[in-house]
Amino acid sequence: MSKGKSGELKRSEVLQGTLDLMILKTLDAMGPLHGYGIARRIEQVSEDVLQLNEGTVYTSLLRLQQQGWISSAWGASENNRRARFYSITKAGRKQLLEETENWERISGVIARVLRTGGAK
Amino acid sequence: MTPVWRRLRELFARIAGSFRRRNFDAGFDEEIRTHLALLAERFAREGMSPDEAARAARRQFGGVTQLKNELWDRSRFGSFEALVQDSRYAIRQFRKSPLFAIAIVLTLALGIGANTAIFSVLQAVMLRSLPVRNPGQLVELLQKYPGEPRGNGYWTEASYLHFCKNNTVFSGIIGFSWDRLLHARTEHGVQRIITGEYVTANYFDVLGVQPALGRLIGPEDVRLGSPVAVVSWAYWKSELNGDPNAVGERIHLQKELVTVIGVAPHTFVGPFPELPTDVWLPKTPSRQAGIGLMARLKPGVTIDQARTEMAVLYQFTIRERAARSSDPLVWKLKVEVALARNGLNLARDRIGKPLLVLMCTVGLLLLIMCLNIAALLLARGAAREREFAVRVGMGASRGRLVRQVLTESLLLSISGTLIGVMLAYRGTAALETLLASGRIAQQMSLRIHPDWHTLQFAIGTALLVGLLFGIAPAWNAVRQGAAPALREAGTSTGRSTRLFGKTLVAAQVALSMLLLSTGALFVANLWNLEHAYLGFERDHILVVTLDQAANGYTGLRIYHDYQEVLTRVTAMPGVRSASFCAPAPLSGAGAAGFVNVEGYQERPSDKRWIEISHAAPDYFRTMGIPVLRGRAFTSRDQSDGRTVIINETFKRRYFAGRDPIAKRITLYHVTLDPEPKSYEVIGVVADAHYSEIREQANGGVYLPAFHDGFMNANNLVIRTNDNPEHLIRDVRVLVEQVMGGRVPVRRITTLNAQIDASIVPERLIAMLSGFFAGLGALLVGIGIYALLAYSVARRTKEIGIRVALGATVGQVRRMVLGDTISVVLAGLVAGAPLAIAGRRLALRLMQDLTVQSVAPIVVGGVGLILIALVASYIPLRRASGAHPLQALRHE
Repeated sequence: MSKGKSGELKRSEVLQGTLDLMILKTLDAMGPLHGYGIARRIEQVSEDVLQLNEGTVYTSLLRLQQQGWISSAWGASENNRRARFYSITKAGRKQLLEETENWERISGVIARVLRTGGAK
Repeated sequence: MTPVWRRLRELFARIAGSFRRRNFDAGFDEEIRTHLALLAERFAREGMSPDEAARAARRQFGGVTQLKNELWDRSRFGSFEALVQDSRYAIRQFRKSPLFAIAIVLTLALGIGANTAIFSVLQAVMLRSLPVRNPGQLVELLQKYPGEPRGNGYWTEASYLHFCKNNTVFSGIIGFSWDRLLHARTEHGVQRIITGEYVTANYFDVLGVQPALGRLIGPEDVRLGSPVAVVSWAYWKSELNGDPNAVGERIHLQKELVTVIGVAPHTFVGPFPELPTDVWLPKTPSRQAGIGLMARLKPGVTIDQARTEMAVLYQFTIRERAARSSDPLVWKLKVEVALARNGLNLARDRIGKPLLVLMCTVGLLLLIMCLNIAALLLARGAAREREFAVRVGMGASRGRLVRQVLTESLLLSISGTLIGVMLAYRGTAALETLLASGRIAQQMSLRIHPDWHTLQFAIGTALLVGLLFGIAPAWNAVRQGAAPALREAGTSTGRSTRLFGKTLVAAQVALSMLLLSTGALFVANLWNLEHAYLGFERDHILVVTLDQAANGYTGLRIYHDYQEVLTRVTAMPGVRSASFCAPAPLSGAGAAGFVNVEGYQERPSDKRWIEISHAAPDYFRTMGIPVLRGRAFTSRDQSDGRTVIINETFKRRYFAGRDPIAKRITLYHVTLDPEPKSYEVIGVVADAHYSEIREQANGGVYLPAFHDGFMNANNLVIRTNDNPEHLIRDVRVLVEQVMGGRVPVRRITTLNAQIDASIVPERLIAMLSGFFAGLGALLVGIGIYALLAYSVARRTKEIGIRVALGATVGQVRRMVLGDTISVVLAGLVAGAPLAIAGRRLALRLMQDLTVQSVAPIVVGGVGLILIALVASYIPLRRASGAHPLQALRHE
């Protein structure tokens, strides 16, 4: 049972990691936001390339919160409903910095690999 | 951040999250509703109809229920189904070896029960605040001689008024005096001795207490001195049958008739939590007794500001006292302002430190129990290696195994806790009885009920303990999980597991040595106190306390009544002699004064308090106090009444090298008689203890009890031939016959019982720490037994082979015993410094311990060695009986 799942898990983990990173970056850049705001921001930045069920955002938010990278507090939304606002913590900023470096390094490597591959 | 750390973070978050289902639901629902609404609004703005917009929003969001389930699964520690499964499995495991499970649960029940019981006493004594408004603002005003441990709180009305009028730091000062020996009877009830508190007009107002029924005492009642009373909840329940119409009922109080105007709330028992008040009465200025003072700090005022101001205001009291008293130490008095959040808690002074020591003791006991259980689980875990290996082989994750093992430990610890809390209820009842066995009017009647705090404590302990003793087996499970599956069971136990098991036992030995040696210290202390020579023969003495003041009956009549009592008691069979005295020996009461001695000069500041007692003829013979010089009182001394007998310390101080007989001394009897009087010394007696067992030898004088036709003593002491308890009934009947009810008997007790009542804290700590030490030692015995039995069982094959190869029984025994001895020795070596530190701590906490030697530590060590020998007897027999063939077939 564990075998069958792991293939899926790995694929989604890549995606999850990406989403986590995007959310951290969003919160870092925009300050406290609620889930809807985060979804809008990602939609806007990715120019609709990244289509996702917006509920997935909450899975990420929970994970980030469990790691202590973001924190949340209740506040009022634009339409005056109660909404949970998430903000990045100090540990979260540190994590973001590390992950960004990682990401840049890896994407650089991949880009190079792809380029040399193409040249052949 | 390392992955392991990440996993841990997540684990903690999940464990915390597991308890928040309701929060989770509400939070999630609201958050998602907002999200969907915002999304729908956006679509609506783009021109969709509201229905369409809502649908589109849901589509874009994805499945809500699915998401919710996923999030909930991620936010907690395992699913409920898995928990049920784990528990079922655990219970099946326990049913396979019920004795094992029962032993663990009982061990835990004892440990947690003991901890909960002691904690609830500690909580009641040390932590519980007065049930009044803002108890943190309350302070107590005391005056203190230098060097006194605790000041006294007796103030005059004039001082009270002076402070009220001139202070700027308190929002209110309340005054109260109390009488713990009031005779009270409701219209239809029986006579009882109760505690009455006389309170100032602002008492209830400043404390912020609201009545449960009727009203409380207010300014009018005090101004008019109305015969009204507020009764306590307990008194209302027991004496007024909890009648909702009790307001207006009347109570005969001493010679007065007072009307009940209200009932206090059930939490409020007055300023002394352990000495509850039964009735509150208006304090009238005519009551001359000293009053206790408590004050409420104004908001924002610190206690230091209050101290500074009180130091100034206190000068009034000093001048007032100096004007009235010949006490030369008056000028050394200081005022003290102490926090009174917990009330005027005398119990805290008396048993606070013993309780702390006991709390440490039971904490250690619990630790020993955890180690013991961990060792047992470990031994059993070794037997389960195969099971774990199979489960790993079938695909169980390590996390799942750990959860299984932890579920088992928690299940054990929770069952243990349930039984433990029940034990704690029984235990606290017993402790209440023990605490209430103190002296009359000092008996601590604490309401020790395990409450919410205690429950929190118990639950916390259960979880902690479960995790603590679960860690070892869990860790082992993880390691086992990693081990190659399905190795031969019974041979795969690593050296490290065995070493770990030995370490657990050695740690138990070390902790147990600490417990045993401190336990022995306290038991020896109690023994010393119970057998100390107090200056008189303490056995075979009956003390009858008469309530002279009950009917305001004095003078010649009483004088003759007492004489007749003496004559008739002395004539009773079984009575050797009888006499009167005051105060009763070792009752905690005393009278004192100052003295001027002919031919002895001293500066006023060097003056010492002198104990003043009254004694009738035959007193010294009855008590067995040797007369060293001169003579004892005779009936002649009763008429002229100007004679005095001094004790040895008095003689040494004031008559060094001189013969005191026929010399004159002048006595300033501070408490009884304002005028100094001159007396002639007729005798010298040996020192004896007056009010306490632990007091230093004091200078003391005895005056005649019968004197100028007055009677200054109300305690009849009787020396009997055998057990004085047999005479209690006859003596009571006789005294009541002679007195005809004019002077009631307040109490009859043996002198030994009276002494026992004065060392309740010592007995408390000796009994309990002795008991717990014994329990700890027993556990260590079990631990050693289990370790040995386990290792012998494991090594049956090896032993068999050794025997087959020609090893003698002696060699086998030595081999097995060698293990135990090394473990016990390691434990003792580690335990010795612990025991020494424990002894030092005990000596520091309990300053007047009578035991100074290190003998108790030796006792602890030797005791443990004996226990180890006893515990290893059976496994040793089994090992040496191992037959080679049997051993080989064993596989």
